[in-house]
Amino acid sequence: MTTRIELTVNGRGRSVDVEPHHTLLEMLRDDLALTGTKECCLVGECGACTVIVDGESVDSCLMLGVEADGAAITTVEGLASGDRLDPLQEAFLETGAAQCGFCIPGQIVSARALLDDVPHPTRTQIEEGLAGNLCRCAGYEQIMEAVELAAARHGAPEPAPHPRAVTTDVASTPDAKVAPQ
Amino acid sequence: MSDVVGTRAPRVGGLDRVTGRQAYVADIPLDDVLHVKLVTLPVARARIGAIDDAAACAVPGVQLVMSARDLRSPMPRFGPQRRDRPVIATGETKYHGDPVAAVAAETKDAAEEAAALVNVAYEELPPAFTLETALATDAPLVQDPSLRPDDPHANTNVLHEHRHVWGDIEAAEREPGLVVVEGSYQFPMVTQFAIEPHAFMAAPDGDGIAIWSAIQHPNWLQRVIAELLKLPLSKVRVHAPDPGGAFGGKQHAKYEPLLAFMALATGRPVRLVLTLEETFQAVRRGAAQVHVRTGFHPDGALVFRDVEANYQIGAYADIADRTVAKGSYTSMGPYVCPSARIVARSVLSHTVPSTAFRGFGNPQQIWAVESNMNEAARVLRIDPLELRLKNLAKPGDAFIPGDTPADGDWAVAVRRAAEMIDWGSTTPPGRGRGIAVGLKSGPTTGLSYSTVRLLVDGSVVVYAGTSDMGQGARTIFAQIAADELGTPLEWVTVVSGDTAVVPYDQQTSASRSSVFMGNAVLRACRDIQAKVRAMAADLEGVDGAGITVERGQVRIDERTIPIADVVKRGLGRLGGEIIGIGEMRKDAEPDHPLGGTAAFYEFNCTAVEVEVDRETGDISIPKYVTVSDVGKALNPNQVRGQDEGAAVMGLGHTLMEHYIWDDAGRIRNLGAIDYRIPTSMDLPADMESDIVENEDGPGPHGAKGMSEGALLPVSPAVAAAVTDATGAVIRDLPMSPERVWQALQELDSAEPAS
Amino acid sequence: MRTFDYERPDMLADALALMADADGAARPLAGGTDLIIRIRDGSIRPRTVVDVKGIAEFSRDIRIEDGWLRIGARTTMTDLLRDERIRRDYAALAEAAAYVGSVQIRNRATLAGNICNASPAADTAPALLAFEARVVAVGQRGRRVIPLDDFFVRSGVTTLAPGELVEAIEMPVRSGRRGSVHARRTRRRGHDLASVTLAVALDEDGVTRVSYGSVGPRPVLAIDDTGLLADPAAGDDAVRDRLDELFAAAAPSPTSMRASPEYRLAMLRVMGLRAIRDARKRIAS
Repeated sequence: MTTRIELTVNGRGRSVDVEPHHTLLEMLRDDLALTGTKECCLVGECGACTVIVDGESVDSCLMLGVEADGAAITTVEGLASGDRLDPLQEAFLETGAAQCGFCIPGQIVSARALLDDVPHPTRTQIEEGLAGNLCRCAGYEQIMEAVELAAARHGAPEPAPHPRAVTTDVASTPDAKVAPQ
Repeated sequence: MSDVVGTRAPRVGGLDRVTGRQAYVADIPLDDVLHVKLVTLPVARARIGAIDDAAACAVPGVQLVMSARDLRSPMPRFGPQRRDRPVIATGETKYHGDPVAAVAAETKDAAEEAAALVNVAYEELPPAFTLETALATDAPLVQDPSLRPDDPHANTNVLHEHRHVWGDIEAAEREPGLVVVEGSYQFPMVTQFAIEPHAFMAAPDGDGIAIWSAIQHPNWLQRVIAELLKLPLSKVRVHAPDPGGAFGGKQHAKYEPLLAFMALATGRPVRLVLTLEETFQAVRRGAAQVHVRTGFHPDGALVFRDVEANYQIGAYADIADRTVAKGSYTSMGPYVCPSARIVARSVLSHTVPSTAFRGFGNPQQIWAVESNMNEAARVLRIDPLELRLKNLAKPGDAFIPGDTPADGDWAVAVRRAAEMIDWGSTTPPGRGRGIAVGLKSGPTTGLSYSTVRLLVDGSVVVYAGTSDMGQGARTIFAQIAADELGTPLEWVTVVSGDTAVVPYDQQTSASRSSVFMGNAVLRACRDIQAKVRAMAADLEGVDGAGITVERGQVRIDERTIPIADVVKRGLGRLGGEIIGIGEMRKDAEPDHPLGGTAAFYEFNCTAVEVEVDRETGDISIPKYVTVSDVGKALNPNQVRGQDEGAAVMGLGHTLMEHYIWDDAGRIRNLGAIDYRIPTSMDLPADMESDIVENEDGPGPHGAKGMSEGALLPVSPAVAAAVTDATGAVIRDLPMSPERVWQALQELDSAEPAS
Repeated sequence: MRTFDYERPDMLADALALMADADGAARPLAGGTDLIIRIRDGSIRPRTVVDVKGIAEFSRDIRIEDGWLRIGARTTMTDLLRDERIRRDYAALAEAAAYVGSVQIRNRATLAGNICNASPAADTAPALLAFEARVVAVGQRGRRVIPLDDFFVRSGVTTLAPGELVEAIEMPVRSGRRGSVHARRTRRRGHDLASVTLAVALDEDGVTRVSYGSVGPRPVLAIDDTGLLADPAAGDDAVRDRLDELFAAAAPSPTSMRASPEYRLAMLRVMGLRAIRDARKRIAS
């Protein structure tokens, strides 16, 4: 039996009929076609499913979709604004922090929450702040450097618009179908 | 000099990764898809009885419950080395997690519900899940002896015994005055734990079939599916999206064949995304017990080395026996060792089938051999650094008889690592230092094709079938093409991951792609250059001999014309493009024990400084350095990412990773809570990586392959540092705090009170 | 995971009615960081999940009332470790909260949920015991106060009656100086379930409360009122001996895959001595 919930996702009001036992992660990926947030351990250890809920980073695999009624959610798709990437996204690109990329949405969202809370974290604070985001490709160094770079630029003039940046949370309704690649 | 190759060019695919647009298999929606859930038994080994799926089929939305009875008889089997793996378990499940049935339903919920309702009658059978039980004379056999009738080991769990011998070890052992150091070492069972769990899809595609898999070897998978389904290759299309990490665990077919049969049976697309727990039950590294006995002259020169290794592989061969063959073959290390005897066995067991995993059989023996070197250094009272330098092969040394000579000035990497860690300086109190080297033989055979298209406006499309799983393959191919054709990097598109469109690539493994596919791309570009030269000759009405085409510039006498201008003129009003084809091929050498000599070697030196809390066994790493011999770093930033990633992955199996089994052969620590990998808080305080670039590799610009080297010597370097700090010698991994504490307790109780 | 009915009552009376009606098949949902995992792995199969986060009477705050520091049912680990009073006066609790999982977990996990889950390895339990915490439980029959030491029974089991919920956790506000320390033993420095947990609260009046967990079916509170542990002049050997007496109830599981009993007991002793030394430093500063 589904429940209708109303919430804001990446700045847009959304209305979703969600099963009580479906997690926020499943709701985002399957009902809203926001597949940027990833599924991995499903026990709150790896952080691949990290999203921001009412200003705090959470593992969306441990939150029910229904719990998000009335909440404001930010996923990786909502970080870029118009044609401008989030400074963290720019920094991750510059340091080459994304290798296979699977953990990266979670890393960037966690880092966003960290910098929103502590605009100029120490290296230790970054390590602790991102400790809930596992990466298997990297030595973590380039990820840490990306966060430091973004933090250092906080308050600096806005970077030029990225040629292909776009808010990727476009009007993807549950009915939108994409042809097989 | 290039201004593209060798630079920190931005990663192709980077933007998609940071915006969440990168589509991994689980992100790709298919119309009308059925969701699949596997049914497994809660035991290590069982005889399968009746499968009652009535309750499962009654769940609304269930379309199919497939098990062995739904496939032809005899059960179709597959496997890269032996066709031993059934599409689905038949007669017997052979490891904890071996699927016995699979449900396809309209929703994930229905599939999950139905899978829990499939009732399988089974009889638990005694499993052989350790090396000891698998090698016992009365061991239960993992594989039916009738499957390998001519094999002398058929009535044992030894799948294969590999022997490599050179020199005269019997004579060498009798030399007087030798210092002989020996020991037995254990390497644990660990799993790749890519952050992307395995995911697969299959769909009928016209009169053929389409498969989606994050497979490292798309063409290989295409062959497997074609053979199983009795289809021509041209009717099997493999889509291979970028894996979210693979590390060898996504090289070979796992559940794609099962999904293919389910797609054909239902006439619909089917989708299976494994949980992380199921992934741990699908792939892992071979565990090993390695005995090393090395003889030295008192001055430290190697005289002989005798290695006996038992690798515990899983219930099906997969590519595991090859990892044993290749890994053990280089057990002498990058040293000149006059006499050698290596005996290595692949031992089947009722466990998760082991497969390729970064290092491919080498980390296990390097753990033993390099630890043995460090222990020898203490016995000989020779600095472990000097012991390495004394024995290291020099460029051109035929250190493995009959194989490629040493292809790098490895001493440079060793000295660099020593310098970076300040080897020789007084170690701060409470700390210890360790050093180790690692060598891996590169690909022994290989074939890669690339097609490159130079379009009329000067932009370029590169077709290269390498799987870009984080190492940045597409980026370096774009760099190579941009450099060769003088195209801006942003104007190059690289297409991969579709066997219907991209020409053949043998595989992505063995760190081969910079060399094999890199050269194929390079040669395709040279092919274009030759065609442009002919075109320019035609346009100018001159002989082509006087024209050169290089790096995007066409030189005719004193004139230099950009390639795009020539192409535009040459193609004329009809337009069109120039297509180049390139290939790199290394044929098999049938007489060689590995089927071919090494295309190159990967070499790394790692040095570590550790601090050990003697009361708790905690190891912290104030300083870590790793230096790889790479020939040429086509993209230094990506090289750094790979080397540092490999180091941290190595720290995983060194300090914390292992499967934990119960007495009945079931895995206790499935999933992320109790299988520990390093987090951002587990890093060395100061980690530095460096590279040696002597442009002495066979790849473009003198590149060699890389990305496995930095994982190889992590554990012996750390163990040696722990010994240096505490005196405790540890020979079993992982060196968890409890194990270190245990070793310290034993040391304290063994030492007489002073 | 299996489906269930989800309710989010906004009145306590409604919540309690739901809990009572469901015949034991209702589970309260706070942070979800334990419950969701257990529903997914099938170890819990609730018919109804009652989300307590909407209950008006359940607060997400930390306030002082009548000599007690009262932590509301919806208060998260992040709330705790950011609170100035907790950091200053109940340092061991702030430290424990800082170690629960990762940031993402701490932003959701509630203190109430942590104790109701009753894992022997619960990080906050030793600190709460050392601070003489008590649980304010509420059910259809009314409110009652349960000293925390009477709350834990064994893994997964508390003395909450069927249908009861935890409304708040309270710790007495003490006027004297106190030095407290939280310690834990894990397999890596990154977040991990602890194989030993320990909290020490050393009071100015010479009483030391030592609480330890993950070395038996429930966390244990032991009190030293001899003054020895609090005495800066007491030597390490004397401290070790006294701690050994306090650790007598430690009985680690022989079948745990996280650590062997031998190692756990040895670490308990090592951690105990280090914690006493650190607590003494803190009370002095």
